Amino acid sequence: MSAAIKRKGRLSARLEEFKAKSGADKRRAIVDLLFNNAMYIIIVIAIIYIAIQVPAFLSTSSIVNIISLTAAKLPIALGIGGAIVLTGTDISAGRCVGLTACISAALLQMTNYANKIFPELEVMPLWIVLLIVIAVGAAVGLVNGFFVAKFKLHPFIVTLSTQLIVYGLILMFLMIGSNNGQTLSGLDESYTNFVKGTLFRIDGVAVPKYVLYAIILTALMWLVWNKTKFGKNMFAVGSNEEAANVSGVNVFWTIVIVFVIAGAMYGITGFIEGARIASCSANTGLNYESDAIAACVIGGVSFVGGTGKISGIVIGVFLLQIIFVGLNFLSVDQNLLYVIKGMIILVACAIDMRKYLARK
Amino acid sequence: MSEKEKNIDNVRQENEKPVLLRMENIEKAFPGVKALDKVNLTVKAGTVHALMGENGAGKSTLMKCLFGVYSKDGGKIYLEGKEINFKNSKEALENGVAMVHQELNQALKRNVMDNMWLGRFPKVAKGVPITSEKKMYKATKEVFDKLEINVDPKTVMSRMPVSQRQMVEIAKAVSYNSKVIVFDEPTSSLTEEEVEHLFRIINMLRDQGCGIIYISHKMAEILRISDEVTIMRDGKWIATKDAKGLTTDEIIKLMVGRELTNLYPPKTNEIGDVLLDVKDLSAMYSKLSDVSFSARKGEILGVAGLDGSGRTELLENIFGVATRKSGKLTLDGKPIRNRNSRDSIKNGFALLTEERRATGIFSILNIRENATISSLGKCRSGPLLSKKKLKKSTDWCIDSMRIKTPSQETKIRSLSGGNQQKVILGRWLLTEPTVLLLDEPTRGIDVGAKYEIYELIIDLAAKGKTVIMVSSEMPELLGVCDRILVMSGGRLAGEVNAADTTQEEIMALAAKYA
Amino acid sequence: MKKLLATILAIAFVFGLTACGGNSDGEISVFYYNFGDTYISSVRSAMDKIFEDAGLNYNNYDGNGNQTTQTEQVTTALAKGSRLLIVNVVDTGSNDAAQNIVNLAKEKDVPVIFFNRSVDESVVSSYDKCVFVGTDYEMAGHMQGEMIGKYLVENYDKVDLNGDGKISYVMFKGQEGNAEAIARTQYGVEDANKVLTEAGKPELVFYDAQNSNKYLVDQSGNWSSSAATDYMNTILSQYSEANKNMVELVIANNDDMALGAISALQGAGYNNGTGKTIPVFGVDVTDAAQTMIKEGKMVGSIKQDANGMASAITTICQNFLDGKETFDGIEEDNIVGTWRVNIPYSVYTGE
Repeated sequence: MSAAIKRKGRLSARLEEFKAKSGADKRRAIVDLLFNNAMYIIIVIAIIYIAIQVPAFLSTSSIVNIISLTAAKLPIALGIGGAIVLTGTDISAGRCVGLTACISAALLQMTNYANKIFPELEVMPLWIVLLIVIAVGAAVGLVNGFFVAKFKLHPFIVTLSTQLIVYGLILMFLMIGSNNGQTLSGLDESYTNFVKGTLFRIDGVAVPKYVLYAIILTALMWLVWNKTKFGKNMFAVGSNEEAANVSGVNVFWTIVIVFVIAGAMYGITGFIEGARIASCSANTGLNYESDAIAACVIGGVSFVGGTGKISGIVIGVFLLQIIFVGLNFLSVDQNLLYVIKGMIILVACAIDMRKYLARK
Repeated sequence: MSEKEKNIDNVRQENEKPVLLRMENIEKAFPGVKALDKVNLTVKAGTVHALMGENGAGKSTLMKCLFGVYSKDGGKIYLEGKEINFKNSKEALENGVAMVHQELNQALKRNVMDNMWLGRFPKVAKGVPITSEKKMYKATKEVFDKLEINVDPKTVMSRMPVSQRQMVEIAKAVSYNSKVIVFDEPTSSLTEEEVEHLFRIINMLRDQGCGIIYISHKMAEILRISDEVTIMRDGKWIATKDAKGLTTDEIIKLMVGRELTNLYPPKTNEIGDVLLDVKDLSAMYSKLSDVSFSARKGEILGVAGLDGSGRTELLENIFGVATRKSGKLTLDGKPIRNRNSRDSIKNGFALLTEERRATGIFSILNIRENATISSLGKCRSGPLLSKKKLKKSTDWCIDSMRIKTPSQETKIRSLSGGNQQKVILGRWLLTEPTVLLLDEPTRGIDVGAKYEIYELIIDLAAKGKTVIMVSSEMPELLGVCDRILVMSGGRLAGEVNAADTTQEEIMALAAKYA
Repeated sequence: MKKLLATILAIAFVFGLTACGGNSDGEISVFYYNFGDTYISSVRSAMDKIFEDAGLNYNNYDGNGNQTTQTEQVTTALAKGSRLLIVNVVDTGSNDAAQNIVNLAKEKDVPVIFFNRSVDESVVSSYDKCVFVGTDYEMAGHMQGEMIGKYLVENYDKVDLNGDGKISYVMFKGQEGNAEAIARTQYGVEDANKVLTEAGKPELVFYDAQNSNKYLVDQSGNWSSSAATDYMNTILSQYSEANKNMVELVIANNDDMALGAISALQGAGYNNGTGKTIPVFGVDVTDAAQTMIKEGKMVGSIKQDANGMASAITTICQNFLDGKETFDGIEEDNIVGTWRVNIPYSVYTGE
């Protein structure tokens, strides 16, 4: 109640302030307001336009689909976001998802499935597999973080290398036993149910369980970014590494942990993705990082370093999925999709950078 | 006003050389600060014109307006009678106005001639887009011979000492056939011999009819080399005088413009027992060696010395952000190690760094984030940070440091230098330190804010904290400190009592091992 | 100092390589376009086994989907003293890449066997020690279309969920600009329509009348299951039995994409082995797809015979090495002219 009053008070105060301004200042204030909220405006305009063209876009099942897609792509973006806050990047993300998806699938194939990669293996308990893939992802993250923090290598170089290493591991992994590089499929029902099973139904439309997991991970990451010492340290290191060091921030561990958390997120994404697409091959996860990085920068996690919000990442992923689904609903020419996606990323980032440009 | 007019008249009578550069009524304002207030500067051909003033008086701002780094808010600039308005330093160079910067901006991994001809590499032939190394080498050699610089044009920049790099910078300015050359503190990194060399070059350029603008703090140099002197204070033009017959005292009086005693707050601190003892401190990667001293509770200990004398290195080694080779630290009778910044903070140390932008502020973060970064551990409730506690800490900073800011969420980069410095001081006070290491705490801060920082420093000492303060401004050290250590060539050259020493004594010590 | 070290390392490396190459009578070099491809992996493991059993010295290279990488690998292998090249060429869009490899081999008089990814006759014929072992790549599409047509004629009313007399379908294309993908996308539908028309049934209808392409393509060009899953989920959010516009048939360029689509369908309650099943068709007959088909979650796929291809390649390889007739021991029906061997496809519906 009191919070509401406060908010209302703040709003009216802003309105007063606005009224007091001169004509030119008013115009500038409006332009700034529009630009600062450009992402939301673009999303709203896009939704309205698509909904007018194809009303089914706003049907329950369509909305659930967009949310599910967003949920599936969110964890990897949450992981990469941290690396971008440190002015870095992580291009090993996609391959990491691929490896962990293959491991999850391999350990959780049906007992009686004909083409099991490990024929002797019983179906393992889910939580053990989840822990294994988180550990595998975190281990890759540890390598990334260690080389970035210890040798001051640019994350692009480090993750470019680990990305190759991980791909090699995937290929080797798929060659185990008599698998011969075949797609891993025939997953145990406990696994697919845990990921794809129905959380609840809206209007008879099933919402998959991984939506819940994405929400939990988002909340967790929000806490880490905003409410922990580590989170504050991460932003400080991203903003000014030298100053952070002098201020008593353990720069080395901050960098390492950012990448380890990112790796753990890829592990979880792999676990979810394995069941979601139900057939994992060496190509699984390829280029996932490019969408995730795009989502982050669209959402205002800037390569300038030291800035970014979890809500921004969610918005970024959401916008990309709206584009994907919306353009499908609009039956836009497939070739044009690339062009539109590229332009949206470019415009979004340009608008975002506008905030940081020093004006003389 | 009448005095000023008289000054101009004096100059006019004595000098009939043609005017090369005239800057009239130049104005420039930054948020909250009037950096330049109707400043005039007239440089004649074949003369050396010294530009003097305290730090923050507006000398470099004026030069930045000339070179188009800043766009001036008002006033006009004439070069040989024609009005000019350079958009960037490249345009200035092309029109014969060059500058030798104090902080060298050179491509260190490239060789000398690459740096000389950067942006205008000579072509093999007209219209052929291939650069000619041969021509470049020859041209570089010619300029060097003329200036008696003994450097191979193919040496890689990073392999040369700073003084030689400075010579390259000068040669570059000369190679543009510049009419006006600005020297910004050119001698700060030069040895006496090199200074003589530089003066020979300057005299040569003057004889060729160039106009030289010479910015320096060193009185003796100014009086020796310059023909005219323009003095600025607080962004205002104060006087332009003929160098002949001018004395150091006169210049200082014009520069400071008021009695020294008013510049510093009264001292209220009382000195207690020895708190910190430093013994035989040597650095691994810098020339700091065998420094021993002790500091007492409630004492403000100054550290004087030339640039590069090891003052910053001393603080960094005590704080553990630079690698120590040897040395013992004792705090309150107990040996401590200060292995890294975290260890030092735990032991009650705090370090305010020299380069505020590079190693002090997190420019895109807000004031709250900047203020609390070193004391986040104290703002927790359970495993998570408490916004309430963070806010409370920041409020304390804003109140006790008298930080002028619209809100806690304001980005620190939008504050003035003085307020930024106060936020960082506040950041350290939140860690409840007992020993404050302050490296140039008032650099780049306007006069009013300086006074406030002095007050804070004296207040801290009065509360029993030990303050060790590095400064390049001698009057500041004399006005604020109790005792002053003088560094020279990485060694401790001496220790003087602030109450009964002179600038001359300190300068002599500073030159001891240089 | 650094430069010196680098030079020493480089020299050591070169000597190391020549030393390796020197102590055998030259390797058989096998170049794969991409180790990540499921079908190619089957060929690879089959071929590895044959070579190992025969005690031949061979070496595999991964082009990783990049023609430049592959061409560089070929030059390296030739410099190393390779006896024979077996090439799964990356770039099928033009003749240049393949011709370039042929020219390189010709210079050293080393035989070349191209396989799987199509190479033009003019390229193969330009060198007498060059052959192509492949499939008639258009055949897969033709056979898939025919299989679909036959299945629909037999099960028309069961498939036509909304009973409007027409079958609405979706086509998942693996990649833009790939000859095989284009052929499969085209013939998979055209040939099905032919069968349907002959049986007096109406032609297939693409589920989205607005879409002029009449396919959905994996934007990253990976023929990946995740692309099919995302598309299928999006389709299912708009088209359903309740809306009487359900997609009634799924055709995919390969089995990975078919499996991806099935994963999405399963989320909507279809294709669980029992209950309602949307017929899904793929190509490749991967192990996973085979199981799906046996369990009734997928209808059929077209088999590219990986073992058959591997044994044909290795037979020709042995012929070259022993100086025998090139096509000695190859089934005559499969030989096309003097330049090509076609490994036949077969229909797989689990029977």
